[in-house]
Amino acid sequence: MPDRAAAVVRATFFVVASLALCGLLFELAGYPALVMYDSILEGAFLRPGAGEQSLRWALPLFITATGVAVSFRCGFFNIGAQGQFYIGAICAAFTADRLAGAPGAIVVPLGFVAAMAGGALWALWPGYLRLRSGADEVITTLMGNFVAALVLVYVTSGPLKDPSGSGQQASSPMLPASYRISDSYGVSFTILAIAAVVAVVIWLFVNRTAFGVLAGLAGRNPVMARFQGAPPWRLGLSSFLIGGALAGLAGAVELFGPTGRIATGFLPAHGFTAILIALVANLSVVAMAVVSLFFGGLVSAAIYLPILAGLPASAIEVINASIALFITARAGVVERFLRLGKPPS
Amino acid sequence: MSEVHEFVLAILRSATPLIYVTMAGVIAQRAGVWHLGLEGVMITGACATVVGIVLTGSFLVAILIAMAACVLASLLLWFVIDGLKANPIIAGLGLSGLGVGGTALAVESIFGSLAAVGAPFGVPRVGSHFGAYAELSVFVLGMPFVVLAMWVGLCRTRFGLRLAAVGEHPFAARSVGTNPARMRLVALCVGGVLCGVGGAELAAGSLQLFAQNMTAGRGFMSFAAAIFGGGHPFGGALAATFFSLVGVAGIRLQLHWSAVVPHDVLLALPYLATVLGVWITGRVRGGASAAAQASELRDP
Repeated sequence: MPDRAAAVVRATFFVVASLALCGLLFELAGYPALVMYDSILEGAFLRPGAGEQSLRWALPLFITATGVAVSFRCGFFNIGAQGQFYIGAICAAFTADRLAGAPGAIVVPLGFVAAMAGGALWALWPGYLRLRSGADEVITTLMGNFVAALVLVYVTSGPLKDPSGSGQQASSPMLPASYRISDSYGVSFTILAIAAVVAVVIWLFVNRTAFGVLAGLAGRNPVMARFQGAPPWRLGLSSFLIGGALAGLAGAVELFGPTGRIATGFLPAHGFTAILIALVANLSVVAMAVVSLFFGGLVSAAIYLPILAGLPASAIEVINASIALFITARAGVVERFLRLGKPPS
Repeated sequence: MSEVHEFVLAILRSATPLIYVTMAGVIAQRAGVWHLGLEGVMITGACATVVGIVLTGSFLVAILIAMAACVLASLLLWFVIDGLKANPIIAGLGLSGLGVGGTALAVESIFGSLAAVGAPFGVPRVGSHFGAYAELSVFVLGMPFVVLAMWVGLCRTRFGLRLAAVGEHPFAARSVGTNPARMRLVALCVGGVLCGVGGAELAAGSLQLFAQNMTAGRGFMSFAAAIFGGGHPFGGALAATFFSLVGVAGIRLQLHWSAVVPHDVLLALPYLATVLGVWITGRVRGGASAAAQASELRDP
């Protein structure tokens, strides 16, 4: 079997196995598993308008996931996408707030630039610490997520607080319609175009530029890359910067697009889901486009789960986490069983 | 004087759960496992303790349930890492997500709502012999002994030496007849018991309640403390104490400086201290070996 097909079969196997395992667990906990699968399918794809909702969630996830994939390809566990996403959204919100009144044609592009710069900066310091003094980037980016979440709390309950807001969740005021690139249902030509541009640029960067290919090589075999004369600093820092900028971009897409404002702890699983998408897609840009739709569907289904299956929305969290638990498995047993070529040495 | 007592009390309260979980991180690290699942195992322990107390009415049964649940979670991680050869970092993050989401789901399925669950009583207290410290739980009292036992077990016995050999050079360990997979299993299961205690102390040590996502990164902080402490029990305990000290100092500062410094900045202090710790440690994992691990994420 060709390598690519084998990778697809393997990823599908582990995703389906995780879903089955979760179904079993839910059944044991007293929730009907079949109804759950049915309502996931219903909520993600079959209901009228569900496909559009899945796409609405999939597009920002896809943008963040491409950034994660660039970092992982280069051999860095940048798991700070959540924090970079928050900081990007915050920078965009500040831009929109400070320039309030200016025409949308100026504010929105500036907001996007600010978001990408902010996300990139939030990824820069872990990257710098990693390359300069070998500080483990898993921990630094993870702690960055917690700090960014607190920055978000501070911003939404302080400088950008919506004075008319009520309820438990502090948030910034809703952006005026002239600054929005989509309505609240979320899919518009602009967002699709942004995602398409990201897909093409990153695909070209990874597969068709010397720098991108070298970065992939450095991730697979750093020693060889060093002997080839690859510049580790430039490769490493740019992989962090690209990852951060794309996560920030996704933050701006959410802000100017469907969400329309930033709120304390909004979309808390965005970064983790993006990491999952990158891993399930085996870090390939084309595969990520498909896998994003699946995970976007899960997010949109989470809204229907409590209604249709009586399951709490956190069931989706559990499903995602168990996919993460198994997705990197290299089970010789499974691979031999599925006849996926030679067993791992 | 009472100010000092209060400060020490607060540090002991916040450091103790962290130290128990850090010990789990230390033993896993010595066995060569980057245990990022600590967060998930710890919250499992916290949840199981409170649910156990509420449902059985006995602390002893509850703590046994918590330990068993944590050992089960650790077994799952061992199976995925060792049996299925998954990437330990991603699998650990997955286990953490599973713990945080799964405990929320369990609470909802048992009590019918996502609200915090209160327990009628918590871990037994040390009692009035200790004066100002009477309200501390017995786990605080036991903590120094556990750290000492860890030191003896890891640094002064044949088992500890074998474990370190498995972590540093599995091939060499295997060639002298040590089974690395089994040693990792033992390390993770002992870690599970420690996380059970740490989670119990967090949920029932002074608060007596379980809330959704209540560990809030403490498991990851413990992992960082194990690194910062150089994989040594004493170092790990000191690092965990340092992180707690920063957190408690932040809360104190809040009382005096709340007008000057935003309160959320002070809440971020322990996370920043963790970054500082990892930065100072530096080069633990080394550049090349880390990148080699990341390459496993992709199919050839």
